[in-house]
Amino acid sequence: MTDRQHVLTSPRIGNVPTNSSRRAPGRASAFADGWRRWWPYYLMMAPGILFFFVFHYLPIWETRIAFEQVRIVPPNVWVGLKHFQVLFSSPVFWQVLANTLIISTMKMVFFLPVPIIVALLLNEVRGGSLRKFIQSAIYLPHFLSWVVIAGIFIAALSPTDGAVNNLLGMAGMAPRSFMTDTGAIRWVLVFTEIWRSAGWDSLLYLAAIIAIDQQLYDAAEVDGANRWQKIWHVTLPGIVPTIATLFILNAGMFLNADLNQVINLSNDVVRSKIDIVDTYVYRIGLQTGEYSLATAAGLFKAVLGTMMIVVAHFVSKRLTGKGVW
Amino acid sequence: MALSRKTPIERIEYAIIVSTLLLLVVVTVQPILNLLAVSLSAPGKVPGMSGLAILPDGLSFEVWSVLLQHPNVQRGIINSIFITGVSTVIGVVGTALMAWGLSRPNLPGRKALFILVLVTIVFEPGIIPDYFVNKRLGLLDSYWSVILFKAVNAWYLIILIRFFEEIPKELLEAAELDGANPFQVFWHLVLPLAKPALATISLFYLVFHWNEFFRAMIYLNDQGKWPLQVVLRQFVIDGDKIAIVGADSANNNTGAGQLNLRALKAGMILLTIVPILAIYPLILKFFTKGTMSGALKG
Repeated sequence: MTDRQHVLTSPRIGNVPTNSSRRAPGRASAFADGWRRWWPYYLMMAPGILFFFVFHYLPIWETRIAFEQVRIVPPNVWVGLKHFQVLFSSPVFWQVLANTLIISTMKMVFFLPVPIIVALLLNEVRGGSLRKFIQSAIYLPHFLSWVVIAGIFIAALSPTDGAVNNLLGMAGMAPRSFMTDTGAIRWVLVFTEIWRSAGWDSLLYLAAIIAIDQQLYDAAEVDGANRWQKIWHVTLPGIVPTIATLFILNAGMFLNADLNQVINLSNDVVRSKIDIVDTYVYRIGLQTGEYSLATAAGLFKAVLGTMMIVVAHFVSKRLTGKGVW
Repeated sequence: MALSRKTPIERIEYAIIVSTLLLLVVVTVQPILNLLAVSLSAPGKVPGMSGLAILPDGLSFEVWSVLLQHPNVQRGIINSIFITGVSTVIGVVGTALMAWGLSRPNLPGRKALFILVLVTIVFEPGIIPDYFVNKRLGLLDSYWSVILFKAVNAWYLIILIRFFEEIPKELLEAAELDGANPFQVFWHLVLPLAKPALATISLFYLVFHWNEFFRAMIYLNDQGKWPLQVVLRQFVIDGDKIAIVGADSANNNTGAGQLNLRALKAGMILLTIVPILAIYPLILKFFTKGTMSGALKG
């Protein structure tokens, strides 16, 4: 709006009359006018728009094979909901869905408090260079791939010469093979997630803490509040909106138990405990070749996941003013 | 002033806080230092080494020299650099151009395009449809399958749009009045102003593509095209010893076969991290700033 007004009132534009005389009549020429002004932008956006169509919308169109029987010689045959019936009557599917929900719940309960505590502690550190040193160290794992992290933990958890079992040995405890222990592997997922991202996520809370009005602390000090009282009565209330936002957003991603993590930390011994929907789709789809069934499972997850994210977005927006986008 | 009023209890509290954080630093860094120590130790000393060690026992660069001379590793390094480099350039250019258009408030169809992008964030149809699109386009087993997929990231796009929207309108209008066309405004005005944001986005893409392994693993059958992450996965996660040691050396206990597998794995893991460590100072500078200024999650 303002662009146009500016142009019209500007004394430097010599061709205003022709412009406005062209704009007056019907829709077709208004379109031509808009096109004349905006085509350069569309030309610049063209590669991006093309990309979104080809690599995001074509896959959506491809999900139709969830409703088809794939034939080696095309065309495929439409079979409706048959694959979904097979899927929902498969005990394996319900097991991987349960695994996904269990792992997500464990991560949410045990991961979420850690970055908050780290941020609260970091905020208490006064020396600028000490704080920078700690931050530089604990942010690093967030930038490593899950292949690398899995490699690091396979070494650190090794029953013979891993750091963890060396420590257990010093405490007089028997070594434990965590990576092949069905009772431990889910905790390995939780811990590696904390190792990778708790440090980095603390940055989000630290940003919220720094934004808290310093006068609140000064006032608390005048009232004689000690360190913990200030944290409890000023800092924590100040970051509650951030905590709520991140909690809700994580809830929206509940069905993403992290394919890259699981696929690298999994092995034949513990697979049944940590097989999630995504790894199930990968296995039956790309390894066994049951494309339609795998696509149906993926689509089921995608639809459910979309509903959860959209609900999470609006709940978050309503409660804290911040959404997913 | 605060310092002078510190009571002994407050000092102890502070010591506990700092030691807790330092413990976190140790837990984060020690596993990586241990791998470094193992990879640099004298081959004979590796078998008995503790997982707690952070200094090499003896000193030997043999593991690193074997790895760096290994054809699979060399190909992996070249492939990773190629894929990461090309993907990042395509990603940054495509994202910046699209963000520039979408940041203009009066662009016709702006809202529709926004929804088009948002849908891709909330609805992900999964890996099988992705795979079939690649197949249909004839991209399977080509570098382009990995490069073009996820070329423009919707989140980074939104971050850049927000940044471009902050550019003062007066500046853009002044340039337009001077007769600059949208291409010139973009090139001479918007890009220079957006340098910090573009640097941040570039680093996002660099890290993302360097760490990418899943798509490379499922789209590239030809081992000669594998990036380092997939080579690493085959060796360390799948435990495919032959991949690095070589069948002859493994059977006859010669060459790399003489080296401790644990040390080779440690070296291979570290080799994959080296580029991340090299740009880590930049990451700290730009990522932390970007995150502090409100962009959620990297």
